[in-house]
Formats: sequence, C-alpha cells, structure tokens
Amino acid sequence: MAGHLVSLKLALLRNGLRRSNWPQQVALALGALAGLPLAFGGFLLLALVPRAEPEAGLLLVEVVFLALFLGWGLFPLLSFAGDASLDPSRLALLPLRPRQLVAGLSLAACVGVAPLCTLVALGGAVVGFGTLGPGVVLVVAAVLVQFLLCIVGSRALLTALSRQLRSRKARDLVIVLVSVTALAFNLALQVGARLAERLERADLEALRPAARVLGWLPTGLAARALVDAGEGRLLPAMAELAGAALAVALLGWWWWRSLDRVLTTAEPAARQRSRQPAGLFPRSLRRLLPGDQRGAVAAKELRYLARHPRLRVAWMVSCLLGLALVVFVALTEGLQRPWVVLGSLAMAFLASQNSLNQFGFDGAAYWTHVAAGADPRGDLIGRNLASAVTGMVTTTALALVLAAVTGGWLYVPVALCLGLGVLALSLGVADVVSVRFAYPLPDDASNLWAVQGTGQGCLVGIVQMVAFAAQGVLLLPLVALVVVGLVWWTPALVLACPLAVVYGWFLWRVGLGVGTEWLTGHQPELLAALSVRRAA
Amino acid sequence: MVAGSSAALSVRGLRKAFGAKVAVAGINLEIPHGCFFGLVGPNGAGKTTTLGMVTGLLRPDAGLVLIDGVEVWRDPVEAKRRIGVLPEDLRLFDRLTGAELLTYNGLLRGMPAAVVEARAGELLEVLGLADAAGTLVVDYSHGMRKKIALASALLHAPRVLFLDEPFEAIDPVSARTIRGLLERYTAGGATVIFSSHVMELVQRLCDRVGIMHLGQLIAEGPTEQVRAGRSLEDAFVELVGASHAGAEELGWLGTWSA
Repeated sequence: MAGHLVSLKLALLRNGLRRSNWPQQVALALGALAGLPLAFGGFLLLALVPRAEPEAGLLLVEVVFLALFLGWGLFPLLSFAGDASLDPSRLALLPLRPRQLVAGLSLAACVGVAPLCTLVALGGAVVGFGTLGPGVVLVVAAVLVQFLLCIVGSRALLTALSRQLRSRKARDLVIVLVSVTALAFNLALQVGARLAERLERADLEALRPAARVLGWLPTGLAARALVDAGEGRLLPAMAELAGAALAVALLGWWWWRSLDRVLTTAEPAARQRSRQPAGLFPRSLRRLLPGDQRGAVAAKELRYLARHPRLRVAWMVSCLLGLALVVFVALTEGLQRPWVVLGSLAMAFLASQNSLNQFGFDGAAYWTHVAAGADPRGDLIGRNLASAVTGMVTTTALALVLAAVTGGWLYVPVALCLGLGVLALSLGVADVVSVRFAYPLPDDASNLWAVQGTGQGCLVGIVQMVAFAAQGVLLLPLVALVVVGLVWWTPALVLACPLAVVYGWFLWRVGLGVGTEWLTGHQPELLAALSVRRAA
Repeated sequence: MVAGSSAALSVRGLRKAFGAKVAVAGINLEIPHGCFFGLVGPNGAGKTTTLGMVTGLLRPDAGLVLIDGVEVWRDPVEAKRRIGVLPEDLRLFDRLTGAELLTYNGLLRGMPAAVVEARAGELLEVLGLADAAGTLVVDYSHGMRKKIALASALLHAPRVLFLDEPFEAIDPVSARTIRGLLERYTAGGATVIFSSHVMELVQRLCDRVGIMHLGQLIAEGPTEQVRAGRSLEDAFVELVGASHAGAEELGWLGTWSA
C-alpha cells in the first residue's frame, strides 16, 4: 500500500515535468535551484557554526528547527491548490483504512524536492554535532525526529484544513497571500540583514529568556536532544528525544483523526453568502458612468478589479510601490523637493499597463460580447474608462500625499494634467495592442504568473516590450517639456498641462479608431485568441 | 436579405477544418419557424462547431448561414439581434452576481436599463434563481450556471434560440423548469435549436431532428420520419453504426468476487 502511494507521488512528479510546457519546466528548475542553496546553506550553517561558536550553537539549532517546522506548515497551505498529492479527499473512494493511509502518505510525503532539501540541511547537524561513540546514534535519531515533526505536522495541519482550503474564497485569498508574501519576505530579508549587522554578543544574552521558551517547544526538544547528545550528556538527551517523539505521535494521532473525518463524513454544502443585489454599477460611480454599454463594460471591469484575485494583486502591488515611494521620499531628506510630486505619474502609467491585455481577463467568457453583437467601440471605451478612473484616483491620491510630505502643492494640478495625458496616450497604444495580441490568462490558482498555451510566454514578452517602447517614444515630447520646465524655464510646466491633455486625447482617439476598426470585423478571431484551443 | 426566405435557419455548404481534421464537412440545413429542432450525434461529430458557426462565434471556412433571412457572416449585428445562445462550456463573467450578469448582458445588447431590470427579475424568479440573485456566479452550482446562462440568452426575446447541451448535468427539477420554459417559448412562434445526447428527451420534445456523424448531417427531417417506427435511440445507433466489440471480453463483470 505504502509502496503504491510512493510510486503515485513519483508518477505525479514525473508527469508534472512531462506535461508542463517549457516555461513551467524552467520555473520548476528555478524552484529546484532556489532549493539547493537553501539546502546547502542550511547544511553549512548547522555543520560549521556550532563548532565555531559553541555558545550560540543551541539557540541557532532551535531557531533553524523551528523555522523548518513553520516553513513545512505554511508552504503546503499555499501550494495546496496546485499539488494533487496533498488533498486526502482524492483518495476517499479507495477502500483504505486511515492506518494504511497514514503510513502510505507519510512515506509519500518524504519523496520530493522539498523533503530532499530538508534532509540535506538537517544532515549538517549530524556533521556538526556527531561524535564518536554511542552519542552519534542519538544525534541521528534527533535529526530524524525533527524531520518527522516537519512532515507529520505539515500533513496533519493540511488534512485538518483541507476542506476550508478547497473553497473558492480560500483559493482567492491564497493567490493574494502568495504574491504579497513574496514582496513582504523580500522586505523582511532586507530589514533582517540590517538588524543582524547590529546584533552584538550582549544582545545574545538578552535573548536567553526567548531561547528558554523555544527550548520547550517540540522542535526545541529535538534541538536540545541533538546538542546534549553531541556533548555526551546521553540521559538528558534521551529524555528530550522522548518528548519530541511524543509530539510526533500526538501530531500523527491528530492527522489520523482528521483523515478519518475527511474520508468518512460528507462535505458540508458551501455556504453561499448572498449580497444585497446592488446592481451592476458601483454606487459611488453611478452618476459618473454612462448608463449604456460603455458604462456597463466599465462597471464590470471595476467590479472585477475588486473581486478577481489576480487583479487584486495587481493593484495591491501598485499601491505598495506608491507607498514605497512615499516612504523613500519621507526618509531621504535630500529628496524633499516639491517636484517629487510629479512622481505620482508612475501610478497613471502603471494603471494603463494592465490594459495592454485588457481582454485577457475575459478569456473565453468574451463569447458573451461576440454573441451579443456588442459594439466594439463602446467595448473599448468602457474598458478605457475603467482604467482611467483607477489611474486618476491612484495618481491623485499619491500626488496629494507626496505634496503633503514635500509641500509641493503647486505641482499637484500639473501632475493631474500630465497624468491624464499619460493615461490617455498609453490607453491609445493599449487599444491597438490588446485587440491584435490578446492572450488568455489562466483561471486556476496554482500559478499566478503562468501564461496559457505553449511557448506564448516569449511572444507575450516581446509584444509587451514593443508596446512599452512605443509608449515611451510617444511620451518623449511630454518628458522633454517637463525637463525644460524643471531645469531651465518654469513656465514650460504650465504650458505642458493643456498640451499633455490635448496630445494624449488625440493619440487616444487615434488608437481607439485603429482598434475599433480591426475589432469590428474580427470579434470571432479575438474570441479564438482568448479561448484555449479545444478539440472540435 | 434574401427575399421570401421563410426559414428560421438556413445553412448551405457549411465547412470547417482545424488543420488536417475536418470538423464539419459541408452541411445543408433548413429549419422552419416555430420549430423545436434537436441536433444529435456522437462525441466529436461536429455539433458544437456547427452551432458556433451558425451563431457567429466561429468563422467558417466556407458556406452560407441565414437567420431569418439575414446573412450571419455578412451582417452579424443584425443577425445576432435575432438569436440567443447558450454555449456548451459555460464560460461566464463569473465574478459578477447573477443579477449583475443579466444587467450586463442586456446593456451589451443596447437594451434600455429599465426593460433589462424588469425582465431580469422575472427570469430569475421563473428559473428559481431569485434567492441567488446576489451570489457571485463563480459560487453557483452547474445547474444554476446553466439556468443563468439560459436567462441571459432569453433576455432580449430572440426569435431563434441555440442551446448546446442544455440538459447535460442538470437535476430533474431544473430540467423540467427549462423544458417547460422552452415549450412555452416555441408555442409563441419562436424557434429552438439544441444539441443533446439524451435521445429520449429529443424524441419527446422535438418536431424535427438532425443526426450528425463525422462532420456530416446523415439524416434530417421530422422526428417521426427519421425514426421510422423505431425509437430515436435505435435509429441513431443504426445510422451511426455502433460497435459491438467488448461484449464477450467483459464476461467477468457478472461474476462476483469476494
């Protein structure tokens, strides 16, 4: 039985590689490459540091063990939707007892890139603490118990939460969490590096009480057993090892109970929270948007912005970037010049970048527009309207905040006029690009950055680069005018305001015209580009 | 416009190939007004491709499609005003609620907002979706998705309704609701054209049937005439030529093991 589950896991790994297209394979290879430094970094850390710094050794091992445990608990939660082998309910129809399943799934969980990396890292502890004599048996045992803690704990948590994780809300949330976590992790690394530089030996003493708490956690017990065994205190080591092993047994029991529940009780019906029907148009924008097709498309786009996880991530990242700019300006006194307010133009530009594939989020659902014989011009105007609203709101907000930080209130109207020009111009380019080079965005939650279809990633990249370059070239006159205004002749900035609006408006009309003309005769072709190719 | 055309749907020489694979190999079809037409055929026979081409969603390689006398591929906007579509794969704007989706569809078709509002309310009520009007379509069950898509297709009161597998994976209660709605609809002079695997249902509902096989229409006409005294299923199996292989090989299926 266990053998079957292990070979199932191996087959899943193999087929995952075989089935996926080359960008996915590259991503997998990159993932493995990222795992290698972590594995060997962990190995070296555990192998070398305890010998060099015996005092810090125990604390270090405790922290590493705890981090491994938490990582094992957290990471599978985030990849649950993408990994078929993590969902126990897929095995519910097989005539298996929980005992067989626990044994089989435990072994299967030990197969894969992550367990291998963990074992390599933990191997460092054997090298670091292993001594000649009976102690080495306990050292190896402590490492294995720590490994089991990670695996059994992770599986138990996953099984207990498996129902919640399958819900649509959880999957949506995970998409947002993964992306924002990646950013936050990066930030935390930066901050952590700064803090580590300041850490002195005296601070190590201050950390003692925290270390004492860590020592009584199951991972801490395993760590203490490891250190004690390495230093020849065999009896305490055995006691601590027994404590950690008991924790593994308890986690295993929890896992067993959860499995039993998941496999034998019916899934409760999803609770549907019905909103008060508020109509298609967001209340705050009801007056602003026209009540026809253009307004409907714009309202739909804005609703999606709030409800689609991918779009949520996109604007959250934009907002984070804006926030980073504000923090940067506030902290760097040298940059507190009033013209920094013009930095808010970045938001206008960012808001327009989603429009380069403004039909992509519709995907195959675009058939609704084709079947309805929707007016292509109204369709494009509606999408542009939504982008313009979000772009102007974020630009205005950032301009106001930056003005409050730098005192450059006079630059706010300039930023708004230029922002309108930049948005209009970029949307004009997007109206042409988005109808000629549309591609569908995958709906599943497993890979946020994936592009559907084989070998499309490259083409998409090239198209986006060309569009980006075109926008850049068209922006040059405005940039030149602003530079002249900032460096030599301030009235040029005043001149730039109406010019930017007129210039942007003109280019938008041109782009809209070209896009509309092509789309009018080619709606079915756009639909074909947005639909995943199926057998007839 | 073709003068004197009385057919709801008229198809001549319709062809479509995907690479080397010919999906639809030249179809001719004439469906009168007020007809309940069933299109049946095994998987991969070309039913969905045909429906895609006659509704203006998939460009044919060759052929002519007239709806109510209007050429679909020459004047798509005018033709689409007369038709409603329920496609098979049900990709919808599912981050809208049911009510929002209907409003969206109505405004896309250029209908006045007040009319859309009134009709959407009635449709939701009749189809039993009134309680779920404020729920996101992504949280709907399969049957509910079918019903909201059907409501979208009916919203502008089209003269010809195309439904691809409307009864697939639908519970009996919903199926009965949909059936009743469609019968009432054709009684009013409208035309319903649908594809299905459920022969018994097609036999019961349809005045005319067409049987597709390997991209061709191998039989078409009034239901009674096509089935010629047999059940439609028997007629279908005979025309398509089912294989009998495997009947002996699975002999162990009747023997129980411990």
